[in-house]
Amino acid sequence: MTYWIDVLNQALIFGVFALSLNLLMGFAGQVSIAHAAFGAIGGYLAGYLAQEHGWAFGPALAVGVAGAFVFGLLVSLPALRLAGEYLILLTLAVQIITLVVITSISALGGLQGLAALPGISLFGKVLLTPQDFLKLLVPILLAVFFLMRRVAGSPAGRVLRGIREDELATQSLGKDVFAYKSQVFALTAGLAGLGGVLLVYYNGVVAPGMFGFGVSMTIIVMVIVGGSANLYGTLVGTALVVASGPFFQKAIKLSTDKSSLAQLLAYGVALVAVLRWRPQGILPEAATPGALLRRVRPRTGAPAAERAERAIPLAARRRGGTPELALEATGLTKVFGGIRAVAGLDLRLERGQITGLIGPNGAGKTTVFNLLTGALKPDRGTVLLGGRDITGLPPNRIARAGMVRSFQDVRTFARLSVLENVMMGVAGQRGERMSVVLTPMPLGPGERRTRARALEWLDFVGLADRADEPAGSLAFGEQKLVALARVLATDAEVLLLDEPASGVDKRWSDHMIDHIARLPDAGLTVCIVEHNLSVVERLAHKICFMHEGSVTAEGTMAELSRQERLQEAYFGSMV
Amino acid sequence: MPISTFIGIDSGSEVLQAVVNGVINGSAYGLLAVGFALILSVTGRFHFAYALTYALAAFLAAVLERVYGLPLLPAAAAGLAAAALVGVACDVVVYRPLAERAGSGAMLTIFVASLGILIAGENALSLAWGPGPRNLTGIGSHSISVGGATFTTLDIVSVVLSAALCVVLWLVLIRSGFGREIKAVRANAEMSTAIGIDVRRVHGSVFVIGSLLGGVAALLYGLKYAASPDMGEDAVFYALVVTFLAVSSSSPLRLFAAGVGVGLVERVAGLWLSPQLSTGVVFVLLLAFLSHRSLQLALGGRSLSFTVSRRVRALRGAAS
Repeated sequence: MTYWIDVLNQALIFGVFALSLNLLMGFAGQVSIAHAAFGAIGGYLAGYLAQEHGWAFGPALAVGVAGAFVFGLLVSLPALRLAGEYLILLTLAVQIITLVVITSISALGGLQGLAALPGISLFGKVLLTPQDFLKLLVPILLAVFFLMRRVAGSPAGRVLRGIREDELATQSLGKDVFAYKSQVFALTAGLAGLGGVLLVYYNGVVAPGMFGFGVSMTIIVMVIVGGSANLYGTLVGTALVVASGPFFQKAIKLSTDKSSLAQLLAYGVALVAVLRWRPQGILPEAATPGALLRRVRPRTGAPAAERAERAIPLAARRRGGTPELALEATGLTKVFGGIRAVAGLDLRLERGQITGLIGPNGAGKTTVFNLLTGALKPDRGTVLLGGRDITGLPPNRIARAGMVRSFQDVRTFARLSVLENVMMGVAGQRGERMSVVLTPMPLGPGERRTRARALEWLDFVGLADRADEPAGSLAFGEQKLVALARVLATDAEVLLLDEPASGVDKRWSDHMIDHIARLPDAGLTVCIVEHNLSVVERLAHKICFMHEGSVTAEGTMAELSRQERLQEAYFGSMV
Repeated sequence: MPISTFIGIDSGSEVLQAVVNGVINGSAYGLLAVGFALILSVTGRFHFAYALTYALAAFLAAVLERVYGLPLLPAAAAGLAAAALVGVACDVVVYRPLAERAGSGAMLTIFVASLGILIAGENALSLAWGPGPRNLTGIGSHSISVGGATFTTLDIVSVVLSAALCVVLWLVLIRSGFGREIKAVRANAEMSTAIGIDVRRVHGSVFVIGSLLGGVAALLYGLKYAASPDMGEDAVFYALVVTFLAVSSSSPLRLFAAGVGVGLVERVAGLWLSPQLSTGVVFVLLLAFLSHRSLQLALGGRSLSFTVSRRVRALRGAAS
């Protein structure tokens, strides 16, 4: 019996590691191979303080967790802007350096570690047997589980998943992606530190081998096999991985050293097999108790038939006294290498009007959008949004200031539902920051409000009946409508739409044009980049013609097409 | 007080020995990196299981030699063949299907799968023949002493062979039609398909070449020290460091030089630091490189030195 309780205890401790890694890797999409190293920071700090300075369990635990938290925060700083192979490498380097440094500190016992740790005494009773530890570990694991579930299920969790799907799109909706990334890194590192402290106290020793590269890999196996971005899956994965030890020892009766090899062999095979044949893991992301309940009682969307003439779900926001120019860009310049992609461009968007930005391929239209929204920093020039200087601000702050953009290549969050895509846009949500971990406020009312708001916009674009489908499963044209709804949901007053109707079949592009044409009624200011001139002609009050990085002519379509120079540059084929 | 004592070095020969060891180890790092970088840059696969094909080449050769009594050359050839086969199998059976399914987000998935292959493979080898190190023998080697630095004839063979292989690969890449195909796929796989290059065949050959180069490095290591199933882990770490310091798509010569550089840094640092810590120095180098890259991205793609010099100029302009 004690044997099995020991196994259970190990599963509980590794559950702390795996649940936190899942938040980082499964939800936020940041791969970390340094999770065991964060555990080492916590475990060694606590072990050292306990053994050498006689600290009690509580304070040692607190310092261990805090140390790992701070270390995670430090590691996150260079990690923020790295993606893909560079992030892998960074965490790999951190994993290795941490252990190298720890083992070279003689006060920490070098390669042997520290082996004379005092036990834990709680409420005057010293924890000795696995049964004693069980009473400590079960509440801790439950606490970590519910903490992770709270983050994952909150608006902040939705933002993390957005970061996983598309960082730039998330940032363009006004979310401070870098803050989220460093906070989630630090939070999960702190929890790994907690796991490390528990592991050390449970074993009564702290040694480098407990936190090696192999341990990091084992934690990854737990997360991937159980199911990325499913916390229940992580519990299953952890249980399976930890229980495979007794399986090889007891059921197959391998010797101890052979069984640990066979166990690792099985981890490796399981990891490859899951990625190859069941990448979502045992429990896919959507398989949560909440989702199962919803399947029993499906949400009723608005009937598709009535979608023809929906009111724009937006209070008329034309305010008296605001300047008539919603956006004024002056002298914008961006040089790539030796090429002046945008050269001293002036652009003025009048409030409540649709402005079309046209020009041949390579004229710099998309670059202008990137400069206006902060995805690129201009080398020269200023951007005023409603009279406020926003030049050089990052995309999230510009979005919050009231200007958002859509993307030529849509950039919907493929694995989020259509509704969640639009909910991501809704501004001013409670519990949207990572501090949601610390505050006990109820999220239900805010979420209901956000959902209702998002549904209104989905209704406006006629996709309310598709709300629960993953956005990635929709046709390209439908995804463009989702992207439009997402942009609208931000309540921004200036919308920059990059080729909203291109690559979309006629049925959807007609829909799209109708929707956009109605936006000025609600006081919105729109700028569209579009190749299809008939679309621009139908929508735009004013058209700016761009050539070689600057606006060379503006006016109505009729005025522009009379200019010979433009005919040559652009309308050539039409003449 | 002689300057050498002042900076914590006992004698000049100690420095020379460090440099010699640095070059010997560094040329192995260089060869490793050339194989790894070729695979990474051409196929885009983060082939961490390179550690497995590396270990397989030397460990299998040692097993064949010691357990089954084969002479060194056939044993080594069998080890290399097994490494190449497993390398290609990784791509065909695991990476390619993952890449086709996951598209642009495949890098991380492939890396994690590659970790799985490595764990499984290493432990399968240990289960089959035991985890302990096994000696490879069959090349006579004696030590030579020059100016207070000692090395062996095997070390000379290692350095020369590693350098020669890198030069050969370099020549193949710049001279042969096959090399041009590899470079075309590296630049743009889709366009290469359009002009009639069989991308899958190129990927396959790159995995073969990469695994063979790594395998040779492993055999040389096994001859000098010993071969064990987990010997590839350290090796692939070095391959990674060198690859990223030198940029994966650079020429084999540059990668080789970067490898020697890393070897020198490590050994020279070893004059002051414990062997443990001097290994750490290499990774601190990598960390510094990554932090610099991150900073660069934060500054909008401009290089740090450029930005700093611009700021300085601006300040001077403001002052004058």
